[in-house]
Amino acid sequence: MVTVDRTRGQRVFRAVNAVILTGVVVVTLYPFINIVARSLSDEFAIRAGKVNLVPVGFTFRTYEFVASDPTFWINYRNTVVYTVVATAIAMVMTTCYAYVLSKKHLKGRTFLIGIAVFTMFFSGGLVPNYILISSLGLKDSIWAIVLPNAVSVFNLLVMKAFFEGMPAELEEAAAIDGMSTYGILLRIVLPLSKAVLATMVLFYAVSFWNSWFAAFLYMSQNDLFPVTVYLRNLIAGATTGTSVGADATDMTVATNIKSVTMVLTVIPILVVYPFLQRYFVKGVMLGAVKG
Amino acid sequence: MYEINRRQAMVAVGAFLALAACSTDGDSGAGAKKSGDDFAANRDGAMADYGVGKQFTAAAPLSFSVLYNNHPFYPIKNDWLFWSELTKRTNVTLQPNVVPLSDYENKRSLMIGAGDAPMIIPKTYPGQETPFVASGSVLPVSDYLDLMPNFKEKIAKWNLQPDLDTLRQADGRFYLLPGLHEDYWTDYTLVVRGDILDKLGLEIPQTWDDVHNMLKAMKKEYPDSYPYSDRWGIPTPGGAMLNQVFGLGSGARGGWGFTTGITWDPNAQKFAFTGAMEQYKQMLQFLHTLVEEKLLDPESFTQQDDQAIQKLASGKSFVISGNAQTLVNEYRPPLKKANPKATLIKIPVPIGPQGPVKADANDSRLENGIMISKKARDSKNFVAMMQFIDWLWYSDEGQVFAKWGIEGTTYTKDGSGKFELTKDVDFIGLNPGAPKHLQKDFGFSNGVFAYGGSTELLQSTFSEEEVEWQKTMNARQALPPKPPSPLNDEEREQAALWQTPLKDHATQNTLEFILGKRSFDEWDAYVKELEAKNMSSYVNLVNGAYERYKKEHG
Repeated sequence: MVTVDRTRGQRVFRAVNAVILTGVVVVTLYPFINIVARSLSDEFAIRAGKVNLVPVGFTFRTYEFVASDPTFWINYRNTVVYTVVATAIAMVMTTCYAYVLSKKHLKGRTFLIGIAVFTMFFSGGLVPNYILISSLGLKDSIWAIVLPNAVSVFNLLVMKAFFEGMPAELEEAAAIDGMSTYGILLRIVLPLSKAVLATMVLFYAVSFWNSWFAAFLYMSQNDLFPVTVYLRNLIAGATTGTSVGADATDMTVATNIKSVTMVLTVIPILVVYPFLQRYFVKGVMLGAVKG
Repeated sequence: MYEINRRQAMVAVGAFLALAACSTDGDSGAGAKKSGDDFAANRDGAMADYGVGKQFTAAAPLSFSVLYNNHPFYPIKNDWLFWSELTKRTNVTLQPNVVPLSDYENKRSLMIGAGDAPMIIPKTYPGQETPFVASGSVLPVSDYLDLMPNFKEKIAKWNLQPDLDTLRQADGRFYLLPGLHEDYWTDYTLVVRGDILDKLGLEIPQTWDDVHNMLKAMKKEYPDSYPYSDRWGIPTPGGAMLNQVFGLGSGARGGWGFTTGITWDPNAQKFAFTGAMEQYKQMLQFLHTLVEEKLLDPESFTQQDDQAIQKLASGKSFVISGNAQTLVNEYRPPLKKANPKATLIKIPVPIGPQGPVKADANDSRLENGIMISKKARDSKNFVAMMQFIDWLWYSDEGQVFAKWGIEGTTYTKDGSGKFELTKDVDFIGLNPGAPKHLQKDFGFSNGVFAYGGSTELLQSTFSEEEVEWQKTMNARQALPPKPPSPLNDEEREQAALWQTPLKDHATQNTLEFILGKRSFDEWDAYVKELEAKNMSSYVNLVNGAYERYKKEHG
């Protein structure tokens, strides 16, 4: 691609832009590369402060060590299961709700939007939520994680805006040809909404993959935690241990183990991101620009 | 009409009286039953003849729910020998509700707040139970100590009553079963490069002045270095330095020990605000001298722990705060790698103006302990549960079991009573390279179940070097613990409003005084500033609570 810099101002702008963006890239990438380098380094080298961007005392032993912990894999599997199930449920719920709300002729539409938006600003609070989930008997089950967060209002509104932008004539034509409401949704609307669906899947999947709080609240068995809780305990737990002057039997978890766990936890998202990134950019603009 | 109304009224009054009479009868009936046996309905599974030296075994299989603080270093496993052996010995199965250590306190508050807490709530540090007292959701355990013979025996034997009294709330009762230590246990002190001491021909320093001279000698030999560069500066500046390392010697505890900012002054027999005490000023002056002479690294208060350790390992500094664990796990290995000839030693806590003390009024021999849900009181197994807790956490056998495991399987004991791990079991580096780990693979020495106890038990896992160090420290004097000064709810809220600004101001100025950004000529001005932030009102509030408690509960 060849671009012609017509004025001096544009050239200056491009140079400054490049410098700033490079800076941003470095600032973002450095911690990550540092973590990767640490995960491949010898623990003593880390302690001595020798590890920066390149691993020192290169070793895969830490990876083997972390991989040999069955709890890690159980929690990892939980994360995958929770993410897949939660995303599936969230997609069905959000799509249905958004589609309904996008129909201007729906009676009580303002009210339905109202109750959704209301939850963006007000919530019952921690303890009432906890009591609710407990008395519904959802504790210690996957439902405690996937159901309460099934509809994200932000995503709902983005989707609604997308559906509203779809030409009504298309659906009318399908209706005249004798298609039912569900038929229209499944065969006409959804196939034309792949971009927004992909974006929503990505939004939901990333947020469920990263979430730990719901699981922390409603799960009481080690085998039920997602890997994020495992990771959080590893990192935050070790630091709080020393700060309260813990007893002699308490030990801290080595830095390289923490690093390996972090790397293993981000990898899936990292692998998926480049492929979905274009949808991501589109998705962010969806609500804003209507064609 | 009028007549009828009056008759109706009389009937109504009569009925009311009859009802009242009935209910009084009912009350006295229940009262009579109570004085016979408070726990008639709660004795299922309990032992009738439980006592000190007796193995607790429930008469029927029981299970109790317990909040479990999951340590990342030894994550919980359901097949730990600890669980199965516990059930075998006591006929009790524990049902752990697993909470990650990182957020244990949040979940504990949430579950207690939602009325959903397990029966047994361990890992609660003294003071942490206070917020739950008003809600009535935790049991005033002091009313039920008769069910716990081992606990009572240890209180009497080790003379722990004054320590225990520090837990009392405004109603004179306490709500936490603390872990009990036979003796005070100091652990944090300065760790010093032994080979440098030898090279410079220095003795191991004993007092603040000795430390000062040692640092000066080091500086003379290595003029480019800051001989003393400390860690534990984040998030509490001078966490260990102002608390144990120099706070103990001065009699006013900053850093981690600052907490509510109130210190018992044994000379005045009154509470005072730590940050304004003369003793505190002395400590800051001493540290300021070190900074001024470039002996103490000013970064000590802002750098990460890892940076401080790196300076030590790379020979840029020679002195750092530490304890037995950090010495072995975090300081020696990297230093050894960088400089095989270097040695590190823990010096006795430097003696300051307060003289040779191992503990002052702020210290206590209490450890984290157990809260019990109020609802457990209504359980038919309540008595059995209290006996079980008494056995596992407070009996000698229970403590050895929780810490060391099973004789012959995880440890052996020689004729002199010395504990030794079996060959294939490792724990805190005692058997390096052994295939199994006492905590990770067996579930013993678990922070939830094993803590406190006799000095012998405590030191059974210590290295010889550490036992020697403890001997030196134990020879010193322990000042009596501070008296109780429980605030009521309203006072507590008021105190909380005053505490934070006072603490922030004191912390900030502590650093400024040490680093020389503020001169000690301004000390009086600084105290006036504290005054403006309600220091006197706060101190008077606490002293008032102390006087009131003394009057009401002797």
